[in-house]
Amino acid sequence: MNRPFLTMIFAVCLVATTAGQTGKPTNHKGLEITLLGVARAQNVPLLDCPPGTNSQRGNARGGEEFAIVTLAFKVTPAFKETIVKKPVMTDSTGKAYNTSVAIIDPGSLPAYECAFPFRVPAGTRVASLQIETATIDLASLDKK
Amino acid sequence: MEIDRRAFIASLGGTAAVSLMDSEAKADALEHWMEDSLDQQAAAGQGAAPEKFPTVAELEAQIETRNYRRGTGNVFVNTRGNVKKLEAMPKNPTLQDFFRLRFAPANHVLQSATRALKTGMSEEIILACLLHDCAQALMKSDHGWWGAQLFEPYIPEKSAFGIRYHQALRFYADADAGYEYPDLYYRIFGQDYTPPPHIEATYKMLRNHKWYIEPRMVTVNDLYAFDPNAKVSIEPFTDIIGRHFKSPKEGLGNDNSPSAHMWRTLANPDAPL
Repeated sequence: MNRPFLTMIFAVCLVATTAGQTGKPTNHKGLEITLLGVARAQNVPLLDCPPGTNSQRGNARGGEEFAIVTLAFKVTPAFKETIVKKPVMTDSTGKAYNTSVAIIDPGSLPAYECAFPFRVPAGTRVASLQIETATIDLASLDKK
Repeated sequence: MEIDRRAFIASLGGTAAVSLMDSEAKADALEHWMEDSLDQQAAAGQGAAPEKFPTVAELEAQIETRNYRRGTGNVFVNTRGNVKKLEAMPKNPTLQDFFRLRFAPANHVLQSATRALKTGMSEEIILACLLHDCAQALMKSDHGWWGAQLFEPYIPEKSAFGIRYHQALRFYADADAGYEYPDLYYRIFGQDYTPPPHIEATYKMLRNHKWYIEPRMVTVNDLYAFDPNAKVSIEPFTDIIGRHFKSPKEGLGNDNSPSAHMWRTLANPDAPL
């Protein structure tokens, strides 16, 4: 591949990543949680959080899709080992949705990213994500 | 090709590590990353044609291509060659002995129970997860019912309920409980598979049952227990087994329970009659 071209792509990637803040971090139980994005898919990997290498994938049914919320987690010194419940997503009408992904051993790695799929009717507008008492606004990053 | 900027930079050790690289190294890194991503996408079926699952008819057409039936228990068949001589069971075998000598490697059930344990589920559910597929050593067809029958004399009623009925619930997604229909069932039952009437009737019964959550949680943990790299052992469950599994002093198979014959069959599957 053309080297100057690759170098240019690299520079664009780096600038876009450092400048493009995707969400303001939320601190919950010593976990710094940042929203990275919301995407849509019909078929998703079933990976807990932090993700391992589970081989199974889940499928949406006709008229449904997965709204996939990706979060970055950073473990701060304030974190103490605890159980963190699964996130719950709320759509623009206030309806709540559960995810199959569980947060397990959240302090086992210093930083990681997790994708939480929520099976919703196709076209659902997402509003927010709740992790226990922490609320994260999703609407601005929903790529519908 | 679409580039996941964040994943790419993370793969290099973050922005700090990247700042130490010269232009040539950065270009090399990007080229390697793009090649690796393509390989991964091809392997995962992402960005390429989606996996084509067989139909029920296609799976049925394979029946006469095998010298065994798909429902045969694992101790009776080796689909890749001859069976091996089994190590003899101890005189008074315990559940742990069966795990070690007949259910091994049992990685899937251990992963499933580990997830139940780490997510704070009840001990009855953890035990059900630990045992839910063990009967596949004896019989794969209807393994939920076989499993419940095998363990019922020794475990809490809720655990046996979870083992028996996870078999029916696994065909029905439940987003509220966090259960999605997996690719695995498209692959092994066929994409156009519909559960038989007794499974449908069982599902309807369970939806209104006060213990619905027991088998449902077995299915939820089931799906997240197919990690080839997971390191698990039976040790974390020793206390739960001690509290909830009524191990007969004569040993499983020697205790004249309603399922003693099933344990004896597992202990000695080479008996000709």
